[in-house]
Amino acid sequence: MQGTTRKKIAKRQWKEWGEGYLFIAPLLLGIFIFYIFPFIQNFWFSFNEVNKFNVATFYGLNNYIEMCKDKELWSALGNTLLYVGITVPVGLMLSLFVAALLNTKIRGTSFYRTIYFLPSVTMSAAVAMVWKWIYNEQYGLLNAAMKAGGFSPHGWITDPRTALFMVMIVGIWGTVGYNMIILLAGMQGISRSYYEAASVDGASGICQFFKITVPMLSPTIFFVMITSVIGGFQVFDTIYMMIGKANTAYRSTQTLVMIFYRNAFDYGHKGYAAAISILIFSIIMLVTVIQMIGQKKWVNYD
Amino acid sequence: MKRMRGTKVLAMGMALAMAAMSLAGCSGGGGASKGGTTNLSFGIWDEKQRPVMEAMAQAYEKTHENVKIEIQLTPYKGGEYWTKLEAAATGGTAPDVFWINVLHAEDYYDGGILLDLNDYLKKSDLDLEKNFPEALVKAYNFEDKQIAVPKDFDTNALWYNKDIFDKAGVAYPTDDWTFDDLTKACKDLKAAGLDSGAYPFACPIDFQTWYYPTVYANGGWILNADKTETGYNDPKTQEGIQCWIDLIKEGYSPTANALSETSADAMFEGGQLAMVLAGSYMTPEYTSNDAINSKINLVEFPEFNGKEPNIINGLGYAVFSGSKNKDAAADFALFLGSEEAMKIQGESGVVISARNDAQKYFADSNKDLNLAAYTNHSGEANPLPVCKSVAELYDVEAEALKAAYSGDKTLADVCSQLKTDADAILAKNKK
Repeated sequence: MQGTTRKKIAKRQWKEWGEGYLFIAPLLLGIFIFYIFPFIQNFWFSFNEVNKFNVATFYGLNNYIEMCKDKELWSALGNTLLYVGITVPVGLMLSLFVAALLNTKIRGTSFYRTIYFLPSVTMSAAVAMVWKWIYNEQYGLLNAAMKAGGFSPHGWITDPRTALFMVMIVGIWGTVGYNMIILLAGMQGISRSYYEAASVDGASGICQFFKITVPMLSPTIFFVMITSVIGGFQVFDTIYMMIGKANTAYRSTQTLVMIFYRNAFDYGHKGYAAAISILIFSIIMLVTVIQMIGQKKWVNYD
Repeated sequence: MKRMRGTKVLAMGMALAMAAMSLAGCSGGGGASKGGTTNLSFGIWDEKQRPVMEAMAQAYEKTHENVKIEIQLTPYKGGEYWTKLEAAATGGTAPDVFWINVLHAEDYYDGGILLDLNDYLKKSDLDLEKNFPEALVKAYNFEDKQIAVPKDFDTNALWYNKDIFDKAGVAYPTDDWTFDDLTKACKDLKAAGLDSGAYPFACPIDFQTWYYPTVYANGGWILNADKTETGYNDPKTQEGIQCWIDLIKEGYSPTANALSETSADAMFEGGQLAMVLAGSYMTPEYTSNDAINSKINLVEFPEFNGKEPNIINGLGYAVFSGSKNKDAAADFALFLGSEEAMKIQGESGVVISARNDAQKYFADSNKDLNLAAYTNHSGEANPLPVCKSVAELYDVEAEALKAAYSGDKTLADVCSQLKTDADAILAKNKK
């Protein structure tokens, strides 16, 4: 008796599940074809030598062994870490600052919001071209300003010492707007009554910002941090557009994704490129896990 | 109960429709022949050449009423053309006929992407050996299999800005100039005083147009015959590179650094250079630029070591081995090498037609310019050194030479390290 009821429920549940899966099938199929399958294939490729036309021959761990010996790759890892280490905190602080400013009741807030958001909706190739011109040694805006100020001009993106920092400025400039919108949305979700109570108690604006806004906003800040770190590790397009192969700062601005791209699409070493992408994936995974553990100490979900 | 079933059917239908849609997005394309017409796709990368390619396709369609040719344009810049072509070839949907260059020919041949044209050539009256420069035919021949019909070629020449020469009171360059004449003109131009930011000449780190011509003219070499060793250590090779570095040192050219930001072409077009070397493919750009086109002309590449230096390179028409209409595609590719098609291409003045009897049309396309400077010595020009790892090789070479061009290291030091690195790449990719 008992057995039959259980069977009946199970059958019904199966039917329900089946319908549920049917509904998500289109999306699931897309994710499987465009994300999961390529990921598995990529993992497999990293143990193979793969030519331009995807013909794979087994290569064991040799790609990974070559990676260990590849000095260029390690210097690119250094560049990438430096890029993430600077753009993420600076970008986060700037976006928090701008969001706080735009959360006040000043005139024309929507105008400023649009202005700050503009870089996020502009094509990164176009952005890179404009900045490239600003930085140009002979004809650039920056050097024109330097000359007018009595300083000698500088090859901003051809000098290996400055090029990566110049690219970071563009990276920060490009992401502040998007992060600012997310932080602003978070700020507007904080109840006014906290601030009212605080000002009754005589807390200053700055005190309110650090004691109310930042703790209340911590889940949003955490989200922005996670996405910025991931974005930072994947930086490619602006550097690719701004620093050409002929540029003297080419080596000192190379990131992991650029080395991946060159091996996969310029040289036809797709197996090696796959191994590099697994390295990038592992680093991002590791950093994200550390952040997830670390958040327990400072993110406030109440 | 009945209503439930209705919704279920609807849901299932929609799910299937969406799944089908997402799958349909992947396929598409492919030239299926229907009702007697054969559809051929033709892959190219240069927007400027699209009208000429269309004219040639139309000429073919006129005599082949059942063939329809569709041009697919993908930009070359940033390797987009090749990335797309490789993906399409892997998936079996590459264009039936497409442009190829010598840098990619061997890789594509090895990948089995290119159709062997030998049988088609035997049957046709197109005689490649008789009608085309040997260097170009050989560039597309592997293991005695011809895998492309030469399309066009490019060589290099010295362009100059008459205004700057007039102002400085220096005589214009001539076809019989030597490298010493070039150096002397640079000196005179500099002594006469040019506008601020202007230079007599420019020496970017450019292999094809600048240092390979002089390396070969000087008896130097880059790759040996069996492609196992590089020749950077040969003093003759180094002399062919050093001559350009010396011009930078004398202040006759902007630094290689500055030229990596503002290209020599851009400076010449901006009236900031008295002279520049340029491939024949730059001609349409220079002549269509109203700022300079009325005050420029060109002469042959200056003689070096008593020889006419030059590098000849060119494209070819290849047929996709996975094409559904191989015979029609090969027939069209061979037509593109015919006298008729080569004449249409040559008369456009955009490129130099590869076919011997059609080379003259390029020089004839613009009587105001000495365009014959590009074709006068094309027979003596060297082909680009190529091998399977050529993309990697050019990259390490350019990267290494930066230190020599900036003066941070001597060329001899740079070259000995470069040889070690480049030979290692050759060895690695050989297996």
